[in-house]
Amino acid sequence: MHLMQSKERAAIRGYGAYLPYYRLPTTEIARVWKGGGSGPNVEKAVASMDEDTVTMALEAARLAMKMSETKELGAVFVGTESKPYAVKPTSTIVAQALGQHHTLAADLEFACKAGTEAIQVITGLVGSGMIDAGLAIGMDTAQGRPGDDLEYTAASGGAAYVIGRKDKKAIGVIDCSTSFVSDTGDFWRRAHERYPRHLSRFTGEPAYFYHIENSVRTLFKETGHVPSDFKYAVFHQPNPRFPVEVATRLGFTMEQIKTGLLNPTIGNTYAGSSPIGLAAVLDEASPGDKILLASFGSGAGSDAFCIEVTDGITRTRGVNPTVKSIMSRTSKIDYSTYSKFRDKLQK
Amino acid sequence: MAIEYWRNRDRYYRLIGSRCQNCGDEFFPPVYRCRGCGSEKIVDKEMPKSGKIVTYTRLHEPLPGFEAQAPFYLAVVELKNGARVLSQVVDSPDESVKTGARVKATVRRMKVDGESGQIIYGYKFVVDR
Amino acid sequence: MGKSKVYIASAGLTKVGDHWSKSILDLSVEAARGAIKGAPKVKPEHIFVGNMFSAVGSSQEHLGAMVASALGLAGTPAFKVESACSSGGSAVNLATSLIRSGAIESALVVGVEKMRDLEPEETSKALAMAESADYTQFVGATFAALNGLLARYYMEHLGVSRDELSSIPVLDHKNAVTAEHAQFRKAISPEVVSRSSMVADPLRLFDCAPVGDGAAAVLLTGERRAAGSKRRMAEVLASRVATAEFSVYERKDMLEFGATKSAFGKAMSDAGLSPKKVSLAEVHDAFSVVGALSLEAMGFSKRGMGARDAKEGKYDQGSSMPINTFGGLKARGHPVGATGVYQVVEAFMQLTGQAGLNQVEGVEYAVTQNVGGVDTTSAIQVLGRAS
Repeated sequence: MHLMQSKERAAIRGYGAYLPYYRLPTTEIARVWKGGGSGPNVEKAVASMDEDTVTMALEAARLAMKMSETKELGAVFVGTESKPYAVKPTSTIVAQALGQHHTLAADLEFACKAGTEAIQVITGLVGSGMIDAGLAIGMDTAQGRPGDDLEYTAASGGAAYVIGRKDKKAIGVIDCSTSFVSDTGDFWRRAHERYPRHLSRFTGEPAYFYHIENSVRTLFKETGHVPSDFKYAVFHQPNPRFPVEVATRLGFTMEQIKTGLLNPTIGNTYAGSSPIGLAAVLDEASPGDKILLASFGSGAGSDAFCIEVTDGITRTRGVNPTVKSIMSRTSKIDYSTYSKFRDKLQK
Repeated sequence: MAIEYWRNRDRYYRLIGSRCQNCGDEFFPPVYRCRGCGSEKIVDKEMPKSGKIVTYTRLHEPLPGFEAQAPFYLAVVELKNGARVLSQVVDSPDESVKTGARVKATVRRMKVDGESGQIIYGYKFVVDR
Repeated sequence: MGKSKVYIASAGLTKVGDHWSKSILDLSVEAARGAIKGAPKVKPEHIFVGNMFSAVGSSQEHLGAMVASALGLAGTPAFKVESACSSGGSAVNLATSLIRSGAIESALVVGVEKMRDLEPEETSKALAMAESADYTQFVGATFAALNGLLARYYMEHLGVSRDELSSIPVLDHKNAVTAEHAQFRKAISPEVVSRSSMVADPLRLFDCAPVGDGAAAVLLTGERRAAGSKRRMAEVLASRVATAEFSVYERKDMLEFGATKSAFGKAMSDAGLSPKKVSLAEVHDAFSVVGALSLEAMGFSKRGMGARDAKEGKYDQGSSMPINTFGGLKARGHPVGATGVYQVVEAFMQLTGQAGLNQVEGVEYAVTQNVGGVDTTSAIQVLGRAS
């Protein structure tokens, strides 16, 4: 058996999503670099010049803490590939700002799947009884080299999850998960480099599809679940096309994935991508609904989860702004403002 | 340059101000002595994270270290408990920044000590949307 | 009030502006020698140097001993006095208080600031040090920003217009045309103010005092040494300093300049004068709004009327109480730590008939108001003719 399942089940008790205020239409990127057209997505979320993974993680974490009604955290994990410091944890700054000191704190890195890894690790710590509750955050201010295809999608945002014991306040039980990894260099960033590199089409079949299909099919095989058991499915969304394609191959319908499919208007928020998709689903899910969550991280690997929504979800309505409402309050910027915000001007 | 900010990190991240144990008045920035009743029984207290703009300016020539952010809004924000904070107001359309506008606290980068120094974080406010 | 009367025996000053070739010590010595030459018989027992940021601006502290030594007065007790932009006024206050108490019989007060060696943003940083490092500088606010916030509050709460506010810099520039030591000797229209570049909305460049170098000095003496030679002297009838809640945004009523109100009230009482008797005032208008609020705090204008009264001509030359007769902070200039001493020198010139083309006829009593921070410290001097 390859299934990861804690003896005592852990559950999501609160979640919070964060997206920056600014949107860059991909027609702007195309105008500057290609002379016209657009990217695969319509817009991407761009962090302001005074935002980074620390500030955005904290915003999401404060919402998650509020919803969870949790006072103390035994672990704070931030999954990201855009740590503001090469050496100095993001997680301790978040913990300090939350007033949490008796806690494990760490930054996790696994390209776009560090957020779901954080959820798995916290689930294990809670399930084993080592801690009562922990915070798992997937957040990024993803950067694409100016003019590179990645620039259309590399976006900022993510979500935070407080995971604790399965009790009345639980809003979704993390029933089980699987992980599948291999040494596949589809996308990477060497130390001291500013922007990542990628092997364009190689990021598809041998990377994204191979790993997600393996993690999800393993989960199906070992739990006996079939796609129709799930009300919702959320896949990592590097562009609008891949998640639809992988869903179709695995037997899911558009109806099941549309709620969590945010890429067209926010872009790829890397470690925040599947976590914020899950947040959008939780915003409208009902008790009893099953959710399939599958991340992908280059390098490469995929985590797949089976989450069952519980009665506690009803108490969370209206506590925090929904992902949809966050997505509706934005301001469009042009390429020059984007360059200023994200420090693209080489001085 | 990091130590003077480290010292105040809870003030900057969580808006930890002062509460007078005698009369209940609350203050941010923190005080040594109650400005209302004069008591020196002062304890730390986390401030509410929302309030309204009392007055504001748009600063075109900021202090060194803040140039890239200029022009930016600075406002006197009166928190729900009556404490008055001087803060930047960010991510808010020009027409929304006005006297009486409701704002909420966020944490942002204040400034960065060059390419290799530390990043200083602190409170800023956003007009409530 | 103490025992002795206090007199200004003589004064000296430099022009305010760009003194590229002169150091902070050069400027101090030039102004001090001017004062010393005017009353060679008065030997200063103490020296006070009013200055705000010599450390930042000139990498120089220990100004008191340095100035004393340069003047050939080594041996004399000498101190630097700092209270931001009111350093000069505070230095005059300390010297006056010691003489009045009988502890000393004479003192030299020098106010000096060397601002032009700094880049504009460094000047901005130095000036911001008058405000809290932890809570004001921390958020990127300059000193102008605080005054911008205040200006908006003033205009919105009391219905004051852009043009009314502009009338204060306009008045300053008009008076400076004939003032030899002024930095900007050119009259301006209200449109020049309202069309100048934005600094801290709603404050524009011409709402703000300029940056400049300068030094001013006065030689003060008690009545014993003044005896028999009072003809060209002025008397310091009262000198008061008060402080207020440190940051303007912490105050219950941001529109009340409490330090000025308190210091002025006490100074008037010390001098036994009613404000109606004041025939001239040098007002600290580092920003147009500060000029207006200062006039209101001293009761010369009613609340909300400071700028309006200026627009109506209430404070013009030829009125019953002209202000800023050599151009005030906006046009004479504002070498911060020197400003309070410039004001006293100017009042001295008016009282002793040495004001040249700027002479106001029949001056009996003159008030100088010098502020540090946003009226966080206020130094008030009341001067009269020597008798």
